[in-house]
Amino acid sequence: MAIFTVGLKYKGYFCIVFNLHGYISFNDLISFPISFSGSSKFSLQPLFHLIFFARHSELQSLDTAKMPVRMVESPTPSSSSGANPGQTCLQPCSLLSVGQTFSGTQNVSSPQKEEAWRVNVRIQGCDLDHGYLCGTMEALNVPMADTPVVTFWEGEIVDTKNYTFFTNKWKATSEVDIDHWTKFPSFAPLLSQVEVDGGKSLDLSNYQYIFMRWKEQYFVNVGSDCGLTIAGFYYVCFSCVDGSINGYYYDPNSSPFQKLELKTTNEGRSGFSFSSYELQ
Amino acid sequence: MVLGVGEGGDRDSGVMVDKIRPIIRQLKSHLFLTSNTLTRFIDTRWCGAYDIRRRPTTMPGSASSTHRPEGLIERLRSAASDAGEPKLKVLRELKNQIIGNRTKKLSYIKLGAVPYVVSILSSSSSSDSVLVQCAATIGSFACGVDSGVSAVLDAGAFSHLINLLSHSNEKVVDAGARALKMIYQSKVAPKYDFLQEKNMEFLISLLDKNNENLTGLGASIITHSCETSDEQKILGDAGTLKRLINLLEGTTSQRDASLESFATIIKENPQVISEFVGPENGRTWGTLIELTKDRYPRTRLLACICLILIKNAVPSYLHSVGIRAKLILILLELVDDSGQVGDEALFTLSSFIADEEGLQKLAFEANTIDKLCDHMQTESLQPKRLEGMLMILANLCLNLECCRSVLLQSPKLQTINIITDALSHTTVDVRVAACICLKNISRSVKYLSAGHFMTEAIILPLLQLLYDTSSTVQVAALRTISNLVIDFTMHKSLFVQNGGVKQLVELSKSMDSRVRLNAVWALRNLMFLVDSRCKEGILLELRAMSLTSLVSDPSASVQEQALGLICNLVNGSVESIDYVFSDDALLLNAVGRQLWSASKPEVLIQGMYVLCNVASGKEFQKEAVMHQILPGSSNDDTQSIMVTMLQSGVAQLRTAAVWTIVNLTIPTGAGALARVVKLRNAGIVSQLKNMANDPCLDVKLRVRTALGQSMIFGDFST
Repeated sequence: MAIFTVGLKYKGYFCIVFNLHGYISFNDLISFPISFSGSSKFSLQPLFHLIFFARHSELQSLDTAKMPVRMVESPTPSSSSGANPGQTCLQPCSLLSVGQTFSGTQNVSSPQKEEAWRVNVRIQGCDLDHGYLCGTMEALNVPMADTPVVTFWEGEIVDTKNYTFFTNKWKATSEVDIDHWTKFPSFAPLLSQVEVDGGKSLDLSNYQYIFMRWKEQYFVNVGSDCGLTIAGFYYVCFSCVDGSINGYYYDPNSSPFQKLELKTTNEGRSGFSFSSYELQ
Repeated sequence: MVLGVGEGGDRDSGVMVDKIRPIIRQLKSHLFLTSNTLTRFIDTRWCGAYDIRRRPTTMPGSASSTHRPEGLIERLRSAASDAGEPKLKVLRELKNQIIGNRTKKLSYIKLGAVPYVVSILSSSSSSDSVLVQCAATIGSFACGVDSGVSAVLDAGAFSHLINLLSHSNEKVVDAGARALKMIYQSKVAPKYDFLQEKNMEFLISLLDKNNENLTGLGASIITHSCETSDEQKILGDAGTLKRLINLLEGTTSQRDASLESFATIIKENPQVISEFVGPENGRTWGTLIELTKDRYPRTRLLACICLILIKNAVPSYLHSVGIRAKLILILLELVDDSGQVGDEALFTLSSFIADEEGLQKLAFEANTIDKLCDHMQTESLQPKRLEGMLMILANLCLNLECCRSVLLQSPKLQTINIITDALSHTTVDVRVAACICLKNISRSVKYLSAGHFMTEAIILPLLQLLYDTSSTVQVAALRTISNLVIDFTMHKSLFVQNGGVKQLVELSKSMDSRVRLNAVWALRNLMFLVDSRCKEGILLELRAMSLTSLVSDPSASVQEQALGLICNLVNGSVESIDYVFSDDALLLNAVGRQLWSASKPEVLIQGMYVLCNVASGKEFQKEAVMHQILPGSSNDDTQSIMVTMLQSGVAQLRTAAVWTIVNLTIPTGAGALARVVKLRNAGIVSQLKNMANDPCLDVKLRVRTALGQSMIFGDFST
């Protein structure tokens, strides 16, 4: 989610996004003159590009030098040339299973102010056959909200079978896609193929990173008039190695490249814990 | 005016007459036809070329002394003993009394009428027209009433009727064949032994006859008696399929009878299908496809059923999306038929799409949901019909989120109310179908997360079904509840406050393993991500002792769910691990025992994740897990279960086992070094080394972590 309003755009006009019923009606843009004195509910942010050089946890790997065994590394995904490209689902990753929780921040800084929300994410559903993942996202110190704001999101897993790297919706062109995916270092080996076909012919089933798009669908605990927007979506890269998540929020009407950084949480445990349910 | 039905006119049973009666009434009012013209029309359509006569002036059941049952029986007895009473007249009277009237049939059977009729049938002095009347009366007794069939068979009519088939008079043959056909339409008819050569010859000769009733009899015999795949094969080899296919070009009744027995011979038998039907047998295939466009609804339905049976047995034969979509459209159109064809079309469509997401998608694209919702919202539906519609909606929502979304959003929300109301329907099958429908709709995590189903309107009738006298209903309700309680919001309290947990716990002790399984399953899902208060509430009700017996339940599936429940119990806040340590670690020991004794991977996976979660706790808890996986002394040669699990062919089990080791070897723990040494001595570390290139990425990555952690304390392998 992002701050509801987008500011300072063209020729002395603020563009304020008016949202009554969630993201669908969000497309309506209403322009106000510069003399507009917006209600304090709206925080106005100028558009600008933020570039982070944050530590990429997906680059971390264990020091294997001392190990007496040889590891077969598969740093790059294979490009299948067979007649049946990209037909394998991704392998399940226990760190991305239902019940797993993650916490971290979403950076929503503006030139005036450094700002980041604390964010908790919980995976609630995972269906690899359909390239589907869903869960909730909780933003904790949202400026104008009295309580933490929880949204429900649905994820498209880029498995090249159900979904490719090209979004083809949500106002994201393939250029926008590439701009965002290339922010993840782990995407670099895939770039050339993705430029050709969106990654359709790539076999990502053994790749250590899972790429996804997370789209918030509704507010769980507040109304859609809470001053936040869920019009955009996140480009997400999940590391199967340590369960870290990096993401960039994309919404043409919000600050670009708001970065989401999450790590798995252990709720005070000394180790990893798992839970599960089974739908009938 | 009187609806006259000619001799033997209830070929399609009295039920059929009842069914067409409203149609006749409608036709009459629309077309201003006289009843006689119409009767003739209807009888020619339904009863073939029967000679149609008006009934005697008195209606059956009227209080005329001549038709007092006892009087008629007396006259029948007299006729049977050649004591002067004219046979033909008595028989005709009797027949007219019982046609289409189940009560009369039963009452005359009780009065012993059938043996007299059979006795006249067997008498050498009976004229041809008497024989025809006898056969028609016997057929009438047998039509639609199983006890009538039994009475006819007990009186020894069968062999006499068979004899009629070789009579020189065509009318006698016809009447005999019709009566036998009625018998074969009942489930109490004797099973025809296809293995006897002369029986098969006789059957083939029937199918070869140029007589609608004889071929119809042949088809009925097959439909009734062919049950095993061996019988299907023998019938195929004997050339019956070829003959039935020829008959598809005959009259409507021949076509329908042939399609029905054709379906019987090919049902679930890929061998017969690949040998005798399928697209390469161009003619059969083409005829079946053509018959799906026939003008008669029943024929269209039967042709669809045959094609669907072929698809179910040999999926490659019905690969064309075009034909699949067309079948769905035809069946949907047949649903509009308000009679039996409509009902059967519903169940045929439901089973057609049941197992294949692609077909569910096609059915969705054919606007099935809109159509069914329209029916459900505008008509008051008969139970069978409602059940069929619920089952189609259920199958549509099994995999497809788009279907669930359509139903859960206005303007279709009214359908949800209808489904919810159906939970309290008087018919068992409807209650079950409503549960299944709701279960599949609630497979949507999106709507579960939004708390869509935790409403009183849904939860209360479902809870009520847990007390249902039918265990099938109980199981269906439990399965639905097990989905609904996953609800990720705070709404679980509604379920708990209304006594849900108490009843689930009660049912988890049921003698019926299906009930037990699904009750534990629901408890396991209810335990997913709940707060400690709710956990305590469940455990208080369930009791650790009962939970331990569920862990070692005779059914492996129950064990699996019970272990999954414990796994969820010890997940969450670190304090919740304490639950398995109370009463001298009663639960932990039960889990450990199960890990040593169980063999089913699903059980072991859940058990291993319990240990994994416990191993993410405090030092003493990690030590307790060590004790479970390495119980013996250091001199013990017994291979640790851990090694067995790590060597499992099931990746998920290997993953769970490696996670446990990861948790046990986290270097910050005071006892980590000692545990690493023990694991090394037990051969677990060297097993991990063998897994460095595990084919499963998840396993490989965890092995790396585990080895990395154990290496921190130095490599003692050399």
